[in-house]
Amino acid sequence: MHLLEESPPTTLPDLLRRACAPAHAKTIGLLDGRGRRGEPRPWADFLRDAEDAAGRLVALGVEPGEPVLLGLGTGFEFLELWFGAVLAGALPVAAAPPGGMGANDLVLRRLAAVFERLGGRRVVAAPALAETARAQGLDAFADAIVDPSDVAALAPRPISDAPRDPDDVAFLQLTSGSTGVPRAVRISHAGAAHNPRAMIAAVAACDRRLAAGLREGRASCVSWLPLHHDMGLVGLLLSSLAVGAELWLSAPRTFLGRPQTWLQNLGAAELTVSAAPNFAYQTCVERLEAPGLAGVDLSGWRAALCGAEMIRPETLHAFAERFGSLGFDATAFRPCYGLAEGTLAVTFDTRGEGLRTAPVPAGGAHDAAGPRETACLGAPVLDTEVAVVAPDGSPVPEGAVGEVRVKGPGVFLGYHNDPEETAAALGGGWLRTGDLGFLRAGELYLAGRTKDILLVNGQNLMPHELEWLAESASGGGGVTRAGAFSTVPAGADASAAEGEKAVVVIETGETDAAVLGKIEREVRVDVGRALGIPLADCVFVRRGRLPKTTSGKVQRRELARRYATGELERLESEMSE
Amino acid sequence: MTADRRDTVLEVLALVSGHERDAITDDQDLVADLGLDSPKAVRLLVELEERFDVEIPDDAASGLSTVADLLRLAETYG
Repeated sequence: MHLLEESPPTTLPDLLRRACAPAHAKTIGLLDGRGRRGEPRPWADFLRDAEDAAGRLVALGVEPGEPVLLGLGTGFEFLELWFGAVLAGALPVAAAPPGGMGANDLVLRRLAAVFERLGGRRVVAAPALAETARAQGLDAFADAIVDPSDVAALAPRPISDAPRDPDDVAFLQLTSGSTGVPRAVRISHAGAAHNPRAMIAAVAACDRRLAAGLREGRASCVSWLPLHHDMGLVGLLLSSLAVGAELWLSAPRTFLGRPQTWLQNLGAAELTVSAAPNFAYQTCVERLEAPGLAGVDLSGWRAALCGAEMIRPETLHAFAERFGSLGFDATAFRPCYGLAEGTLAVTFDTRGEGLRTAPVPAGGAHDAAGPRETACLGAPVLDTEVAVVAPDGSPVPEGAVGEVRVKGPGVFLGYHNDPEETAAALGGGWLRTGDLGFLRAGELYLAGRTKDILLVNGQNLMPHELEWLAESASGGGGVTRAGAFSTVPAGADASAAEGEKAVVVIETGETDAAVLGKIEREVRVDVGRALGIPLADCVFVRRGRLPKTTSGKVQRRELARRYATGELERLESEMSE
Repeated sequence: MTADRRDTVLEVLALVSGHERDAITDDQDLVADLGLDSPKAVRLLVELEERFDVEIPDDAASGLSTVADLLRLAETYG
């Protein structure tokens, strides 16, 4: 199956069946926690197992159009059930299995809230999750949990072979908003079949050697990205399938624990493609030295995609410098832009010259904490349009900052069971991304975001969860309101290229330093235990000093701006006066 | 727990958190006081796996709050 194919697939089962035809048979394999390669399986065998999984889901009683939440880590069990649900006409929803430090009770409660909003009947997850959920009083959620090994024990029933409409929903992917619970993005069959093809065309556009390798089935892909995230699921899994590339998958833990395993596996093939957010490249720079990777040859890594969070030029420069001696070619960096509501890819670097940057126009980054120099994210992918508009929807002049809007086959069908949010995000066929950027010579650059979300380590966090925790912390004092945002910490060394960190600002009537100290610690501990994230800063201000709208909502971006510029009147400095 | 094992845990914790080893106490909170976000938490467990030559399951981190909890975990997987 190839990009130049005359009649490309228009549905996900079509894509899967063509990709798994013996003529294109490539393999999929898993890396263990130490990065060692397991026995690779031909896609054709995998398709048979996914069809069996589909038949088992039917036997379980799953109906067409039913959302099925999958809380499983990376592995064949997840892959077979995800594709099985698609083949059975159900809607798989991949969710992160709870993990990480702390009690994670908020993470679990959030998952239960997602499930409730989905209106689904089943969650396939480890039985231990049911026990934890029950212990927290989440009985309806606990009752819905099905053990994957119980599904595997069922005898498969026949699945419907009715053709799918390209405009129907193929699967749901979760994304965080600034309020409420994470929303489920409805991806169409057309989008799911088109977006991988658009990415492959973009990857191949400027590199003849790689294009030939992709066409001739000599390329491979290595990914540790979570499959509950669009970049892992669509960007690397579906794209590898669509192009017929050999695929090696590992759990995120493999990379986070042993980042060298990523580079070692990338160095083990002739032509490779991989993708990661900025923080992963930064992790390699911080934790790996070239001499420790002796024998690894990165010259075959022809496409090092970088997206999902703001690209920090210092990080990519440092990475290229560190690993150049292993053959890494800085022109392999391919910055790109995408989002769950766009299926994934929206713009993609097709020049193949590596990182290119431009200064953010003066006054353009609405938040002063934004970057001064920003990466070129390339041109819109196949059949896709990008516009940058003023708040009233009118186009801004070339080079001026505005909101990024997207039109094309990848644009989502709406949020599942959420018509209000859908209406806010979609209008006239255009997706309002909530990201701020500018266009130059037809290429996109990001300057910040209008959405109130925190972006830490490539993960979206919802500010209201942190604010709620901060507001509930009693500490014996009178905490009233709180505002949360993420920013590059003040005074951070630019060369260290630290990413954004979480900050909470709390209004209080308390002035006793000892009491404030107690409140701060309680907030930090509560946030840490509930969400598993440390706060880079916890600031107190006097009552009434948080910027708010007339209706009393905290203006988080204004707060972030005041924090970054030093305009925020901290209680500590007032007290010491 | 042997003094050796305790030393190793604290050494790894200092390495991963960037805090001085002598400033780490049993009652400190791993996230709030030592700044262990989830990438660092994973790295910590993997470093312990390497040092002790054991396998620590993925979900072992959940339920860990303090340095004392971590020391107990290290005892379990010894």
